[in-house]
Amino acid sequence: MLFRNIYIKSLRDYRIAILGWGVGIGLLIYVVLSSFPSLVETPEARASLVSLGPSFAWIAEPIKIDTPGGYATFKYGFTVLVMALWPLLASSRMLRGEEERGSMDVLLSMPRGRGRVALEKLAAIWTALLGMGLLIGLLTSAGGMRANGDFSLGDALLSGLNLALICGVFGSLALLISQFTQERGTAAGVTGGLLLIFIVVDMVHRVIPNTDWISHFSPIYYYNLNKPLVPGYGINAGALLVLLALSIILSGLSIWLFVRRDIGGTVKLPAWLRLPERAARPEQALPANAWSLRSVYTRGLGMMVVPGIWWTLAIAGFAAWMVVIVKQTESQLATIAQSSPILKDILTKVGGGDITTNATILSALFTFLPLLLMAFAVTQVSRWAADEEDGRLEMVLSTPQPRLNVLLARFAALTTVIVIIGVLTLAATELAALAAGLKLDGGNVAVATLSMIPMGLLIAAIGFLFSGWLRTAIDTGLLSFLLVIWFSITFIGPELNWPEGVQKLSAFYYYGTPLLHGLSLSNMLLVLAVAIVALALASVRFMRKDIGR
Amino acid sequence: MTAIIEVEGLTKSYGSKRGITNVSFQVEEGEVFGFLGPNGAGKTTTIRLIMALLRADEGKARIAGLDSWERSVEIKRLVGYLPGEPALDPNLTGGQILEYFGHLRGGVDQTYLKQLIKRLDLDPSRKFRQYSSGNKRKVVLIQAFMHRPRVLILDEPTNGLDPLNQQEFNAMVKEVREEGHTVFLSSHILGEVEQTCTRVGIIRDGQLVRVGGVTELKDIKRYEITITFADAVPTEAFKTLDGVEQVETLPGGHALHLVMQGGADAVIKAAAHYPVVSLTSHEPSLEDIFLRYYEGDGLATKEESHAV
Repeated sequence: MLFRNIYIKSLRDYRIAILGWGVGIGLLIYVVLSSFPSLVETPEARASLVSLGPSFAWIAEPIKIDTPGGYATFKYGFTVLVMALWPLLASSRMLRGEEERGSMDVLLSMPRGRGRVALEKLAAIWTALLGMGLLIGLLTSAGGMRANGDFSLGDALLSGLNLALICGVFGSLALLISQFTQERGTAAGVTGGLLLIFIVVDMVHRVIPNTDWISHFSPIYYYNLNKPLVPGYGINAGALLVLLALSIILSGLSIWLFVRRDIGGTVKLPAWLRLPERAARPEQALPANAWSLRSVYTRGLGMMVVPGIWWTLAIAGFAAWMVVIVKQTESQLATIAQSSPILKDILTKVGGGDITTNATILSALFTFLPLLLMAFAVTQVSRWAADEEDGRLEMVLSTPQPRLNVLLARFAALTTVIVIIGVLTLAATELAALAAGLKLDGGNVAVATLSMIPMGLLIAAIGFLFSGWLRTAIDTGLLSFLLVIWFSITFIGPELNWPEGVQKLSAFYYYGTPLLHGLSLSNMLLVLAVAIVALALASVRFMRKDIGR
Repeated sequence: MTAIIEVEGLTKSYGSKRGITNVSFQVEEGEVFGFLGPNGAGKTTTIRLIMALLRADEGKARIAGLDSWERSVEIKRLVGYLPGEPALDPNLTGGQILEYFGHLRGGVDQTYLKQLIKRLDLDPSRKFRQYSSGNKRKVVLIQAFMHRPRVLILDEPTNGLDPLNQQEFNAMVKEVREEGHTVFLSSHILGEVEQTCTRVGIIRDGQLVRVGGVTELKDIKRYEITITFADAVPTEAFKTLDGVEQVETLPGGHALHLVMQGGADAVIKAAAHYPVVSLTSHEPSLEDIFLRYYEGDGLATKEESHAV
């Protein structure tokens, strides 16, 4: 019954994801809504919450955040970042993954057209997304009822639909990109990068005045135009249609390309877009004399060169951009700060200093740097786990390389790239400050950029440890979830007066505010110590475990 | 001769799923040992345990007297390994892959490497993902042979190779054997084992059911005799004879087809009472022997699980 056709079979494959992501995200929203009444027990508390909103406008637009629906919408402004991971991975795997495994050949040997196969698979992903949206909507409705929220079941379901639609856009984008890449991982990585860029592009108009036109280029902007849980705000039909149209166009184009290209091949780009091919002759293929083939360490480095360059551009570019932004908007920020004592208080807490200084604002923004570097580390941990899962480590371990050396060499390669990214980010920040005429403490800039290195190593070591037991997808998902939790604790916890003990659970707590206060040696040593312990445990596990697919 | 591979009571399970149970055998230095079994019998599990890619629940595997788990690095200096389902970086060329593994092995003789590439007619300038399955197999075969290992452990080595390359592979195995090296290969292609191996082990449902020389296995064969007589003969005269398992009269009634187990002396003496036109005996192929061990009724009995 469940193997009757491709659509049903694919949907069956997604059943755990539908339940996991739908119930998981739904429960998070349910918990937030349920706890809302306790946040606004007194008029003072309610006023405090309202005044808090503008300071976190970069996360989401704070509208009626003293209502359950408004608060949930505001607090989960970043939900799309987590939720879009599933369609991104599933869609990049949808066709390309099958081609990589060789199962597409078998599938297409059945009396079904390519277009039909792709459509059935796409329909399964869309059904799964709608199923997740439904579960999220139902749990949101349940949470709203518990918090006496003033939104209906229909509103809750519309919020689920809105989430499903934006996820559909990124799924379709991943599907389209996978038509141009040989590997599903590349398509997922590129789409993930675009997701981050689009989040930042959407954020721009909330951080810098009069930049709405820039945010119009981000699909996230249209997602955020819909706020069905916010009383009186409702749904923007035009925005919903934009998301739907984007999904249809991107998916349609993907299927159109898939039907016309070679199975196992990629869409041929115009000559001017193609990288020049090196005409290798068989007799010249050996010796290759490539530096990256000399050891497991250099091979690890070689594998990270391309993603490393992109991530360096993103992280160092972000740091430099923040420096320039802060300098250019210093007068507006000073005015806002003067008019909002609460904002001043928040920036003082997050930034760690006097709000009137650019360094304090920059310090608050710089806390994104370790987050980005840690995200890069997660992608590389995922690659390590996939190497074992796909059987590539088996060949390496059949050579006289001790297991410990193999693991440590790969970790050392990742460490090298993380250090290089840190150093280049430092250089970019200094150059940007020099160009923008922003005066910063050189030592503290060095500490702020280089302190993210231990943070990257920490998440990498934890990822290596988890990969001793978990499959790639679960390992990557768990690490991503950990990052989101840590990020939430550090950025929202202080304002919600969460106990210090809770805030200490976040790795970002130990990063602190180095741009203002310099190096906290004890904190960094603690982060490094935890990373070393995690790496040691990962090594012990790896030396004893079965190497398997 | 001394045993270069020793497997003693090797047991491995995957949770509640069967792996292998109490597998024991030895491979002598300089021999070509075939490890036979159908899919899922436990061949790959046994090989991956010997290669220290899996950790045994019980039992030991040793190569050249070294415990395969405790001394795995030293062992891998001696071994060339070809996995059943090789996975390599799809973005590297065949040449780059061979160079990488050459470095991991501390360097290999480039002249010999190029000879192997030429023998197997591999184009090393293509990316691994662009290779056909046969060419992928060639890359992994070459990396297994390229450092002239003392022991070759090959999991279904000729999967995907065309007949010409299979012949070349057989020649390569013969050469390394003549040089005194040992080859342990798993297969379900019996003709290949018959051609290349001196001894075989048969594994079924995770248990080793038999180990013996290829010729020794044939000695316990079930074979067939067809006798054509000048006139029709009664089948009853042959049914109860020693060694006869089955008698069938062929169309026309002048010829008998006998399925035999053991000596044919009684049959020959009984046939001599009638005018015989012709007598033919059919040697069983290893295929027949193999099938016998895998008849699904448990005929491969435990008492046979000793070496002959």
